[in-house]
Amino acid sequence: MLIEYADVFISGLTNGSVYALMAVGLTLVYGVSKAFNFAYGSFYSLGGYLAWVLLAGIGIWGGYISVFIIALPLLMAFGYVTEKLIVAPLRSRSDWEIKVMMITLGLALFMDNFYQVAFGSRMKSLPPIVDGVWDLGDIVISYQDIVILVLSVSGILAFRWILNNTRIGMAVRAVAQNPEGARIVGIPKDRVFAATFAISTVMVGAGGVLLAQKYFVSPTGGWDILVKSWVITAFGGMGSIQGGLYAAFILGMLEAFVGYWFGMTWVLFALFAVLLATLAVRPQGLMGKWG
Amino acid sequence: MKKLVSLILTITAALALAVPAMAADTIKVGVPLAMTGAYTDTGDNYWKGIKIAIDEINASGGLLGKQLEPVRFDTQEFAPERVMQGADYLCGKMKVDSVHAGWAGWGQDVRAYGKYTAPFFADDGSQSAVDVFNQDPKKYSNIYQLTDTDINQASSMFRVLMALPYEYPNKKVAIITADDAWGTGVGETLAKNFKKEGWKVALHEEVPYGTREWGPILTRIRKAKPAIIHLEIVSAQEVITFFRQFMESPTKSILSYGYSIVPREVVQTMGTEADGIIGEVPTAMPTPIAPTPEAQAWVENFKKIWGHQPQAGSWAAYSGVKAWAAAVEAVGDAKDHAAVCKYISTKGYKGETGWWKWDESNVMRAGGDVPIGHYQVQGGELVTIFTDPPVKPYKDFKFQTPRWCK
Amino acid sequence: MGGLMAIIYGGLAIMPLFVGGVDYMMHILIMILIWAVVASCWDLIMGFAGIFSFGQVAFFVIGAYASAIVSNKFGIPPFFSIFIAGGIAAILGVLVGLPCLRLKGAYVALVTFAVHMILEPFLKGHMGRAIGTGGSRGILTIPPINIFGYAFTPDNKVAVFYLTLVLAVICSVIILMVIRSFWGTAFLALKDSEDFSASLGVSAFKYKLAVFALTSFLTGMVGGFYAHYVGMLSTRMLGIDLFVTLMIMLVIGGIGQFPGAILGAIVTVTLNEMLSPLGPYRPLILGGLVVVLVLLLPDGVIGLLRRIFGGKRKTREAEA
Repeated sequence: MLIEYADVFISGLTNGSVYALMAVGLTLVYGVSKAFNFAYGSFYSLGGYLAWVLLAGIGIWGGYISVFIIALPLLMAFGYVTEKLIVAPLRSRSDWEIKVMMITLGLALFMDNFYQVAFGSRMKSLPPIVDGVWDLGDIVISYQDIVILVLSVSGILAFRWILNNTRIGMAVRAVAQNPEGARIVGIPKDRVFAATFAISTVMVGAGGVLLAQKYFVSPTGGWDILVKSWVITAFGGMGSIQGGLYAAFILGMLEAFVGYWFGMTWVLFALFAVLLATLAVRPQGLMGKWG
Repeated sequence: MKKLVSLILTITAALALAVPAMAADTIKVGVPLAMTGAYTDTGDNYWKGIKIAIDEINASGGLLGKQLEPVRFDTQEFAPERVMQGADYLCGKMKVDSVHAGWAGWGQDVRAYGKYTAPFFADDGSQSAVDVFNQDPKKYSNIYQLTDTDINQASSMFRVLMALPYEYPNKKVAIITADDAWGTGVGETLAKNFKKEGWKVALHEEVPYGTREWGPILTRIRKAKPAIIHLEIVSAQEVITFFRQFMESPTKSILSYGYSIVPREVVQTMGTEADGIIGEVPTAMPTPIAPTPEAQAWVENFKKIWGHQPQAGSWAAYSGVKAWAAAVEAVGDAKDHAAVCKYISTKGYKGETGWWKWDESNVMRAGGDVPIGHYQVQGGELVTIFTDPPVKPYKDFKFQTPRWCK
Repeated sequence: MGGLMAIIYGGLAIMPLFVGGVDYMMHILIMILIWAVVASCWDLIMGFAGIFSFGQVAFFVIGAYASAIVSNKFGIPPFFSIFIAGGIAAILGVLVGLPCLRLKGAYVALVTFAVHMILEPFLKGHMGRAIGTGGSRGILTIPPINIFGYAFTPDNKVAVFYLTLVLAVICSVIILMVIRSFWGTAFLALKDSEDFSASLGVSAFKYKLAVFALTSFLTGMVGGFYAHYVGMLSTRMLGIDLFVTLMIMLVIGGIGQFPGAILGAIVTVTLNEMLSPLGPYRPLILGGLVVVLVLLLPDGVIGLLRRIFGGKRKTREAEA
């Protein structure tokens, strides 16, 4: 019995680490600029496709290290330009929150179908970062899952460090807490918005690179990611990175144990039931703040 | 206000004129398939077969001296009104003389196309489509199914599992299916058959598409240690992730993938890693060696044109076009739909492997010259080990005990 | 507003003169009317009331299933069952609306979209099968609407078209009346400043809940109508395709620019059909179009019409 629970616990941990990595970018952008990015899932796929083009298409030397070195700046540039071109011009309008959702939904439709036209509708697979399993007798953990867990947690920690200890990080936090005040002390708000969007693109794109080797890449594969990230950010509190981290692991565990006890069809019901119950008590999520 | 009225009228006129010009003196063939959305892959498989058939007929001088002209329609994700729209567009507006679909709506298609007279070929593989047909066989007499039903296919899978030259260590089975009509249909039939034979269904789960973390289910499987695991999710990502996570700590279970072996990526991605998995394809062209020289030539031709092995559905859809064309030749008039249908129903069609015969429900039942093929992945290739019904080993190809069962 | 609506519906009403004999065209016209109502309801709740509801497709499907089940199981004539379906959708709408009204922006979108997400596994699963949804196979036999012995089946598309037109006009007039009434003004006030309006005694809660109920009712009723027209149902309407298409209607028509949503439905459905032969390029173009339109045409076609014909009302705010 205990062994089985340990096994399920490990699945929960794996889920959680994946979700944490995915959700943190979404919560960041919402927290700082109140923009909800519907194309978030397509950005995830972008990371996966970039990795695929580099590894399988070009056959780049140096494997995943080169992929990260090349893909991350590209993702950052893409995020920055996207924000400047299609999100920033909407900010001054009335109803801009709805407009941002709509325009990013349009972008998602465009990107997903661009992938389909360019790469075909069939899934693409990538070589694993590492092979093999760690055999502990009754419990077996794949090295792949360990790598994902380690990289995603350290990625988030690095990200928190940037937020807390660098000039740009402090500017981001200032804008998030008090946009008006930030403007008065001379922080270029628009640049901060674009920068957070770029960072969020990097986070989710890196997640795409990391997870593509386990879950593959396909044109519409991002929707699942978007919905899960959305649930996690709302549950943890939109804009709260720590809340998102907790939420990711709580929901990861919930998914594993509900799947084990009741079956996989109940996972979605359970996720939304817990989310609704939480929001009924705390409308701002676990650790979110209004404003 | 006047300008406004004129603008509205312009829009109105544009809408009315959205009628493409009609080409003269060809025979139009309707092809409603998923070109966008979740079913694009299967739509592509069918299209490749249909395209070859049409090109072949056109290259050999056409049908009754006329060239065939395919009219495509994107059925997207088979929403009811979309299926109906396809029928109204192809049969009602474009006046096609036959319709060649693949997966077409699992019963919705029978209703939509049954209103018209042009012969309609689908690959639904679904009892609910046959049920709709049987409500009014006269009205739906132009509807043909290219494959047997989910129930019969699942029974065939069961028979082959029982016929494997392999000693099962216990009588426990785990059944995991997608929550769509096909998955649930196969799952229920399999469960019933296993129970009748005195087996215990240790686990029977329906999972949504997109499931890629199998931890909780694998924990239960590792506890139950079933002799057979049947997985029925026709989508590559789900079945590959399942296999890889299963192999982290495998139980001695025969992995039966049913129709999920079909997506090309399964074998392409895993190669010899997938060796040992078994699966099923209805209306199949057995591989690696086809049953007849004609069939082998067909496979070679397909590979030459598209650059890869034919997928499930390609040959069935191809044969649908050829069966219709043969009937039109015999009748001498593509417009006489009733006579063409009558000819197909009574005479059948002689294809590469032999005769196709449709039963009284216009279903191409498995067996005879067109059986269900049962495969095992061996050396990274799909190898036919059995055909059914009746269960017969195929040529000299033998079942090999999977490496994790040894 | 009313004048433009009359012109649009008038224009549609004479369409059967040109294409009455072509079933395919009539089917498209009927679907235009159905989506026009759904999109208008969405516009009412999102564009006017400022609630980010993403559950409109869900309520449409709930209404469709409810009406099909009620008429199949209890033998209630479809003419009445679509109202029952509207009622069921309205009750569910209020149930969803209650928790939503404490939430903000993207949270409301998520909770309402959750209804959409959960609906598919529910309808396919054991609970759904128990109430008669037919599981993943769907419902393949639904009786047509029958008025005084005349059956509105898909074979009589011109008749169905005019029945749909009547329904669409009624729904649109209701929506128009709501916008013109005290409610509409209240919503505008709430959108501009919730705190200020509250201090003037405008109760956000009451109006927002009422708008949830009303839009769910109309959407559910139209969903029921759809079920009896098409005669079959499956969960395949819950794919992302329809959701996005409806949103495109709003973008093209203009958000909060009623009756823009109706024009949006006409343009979008037509465009969708014309682009359909292009396969995957269709959604690619539609997606690109949304991006461009949101940037260049903030008020959609209505905004464009106003710019062309000028004069009449610069902005909605000016009118209010």
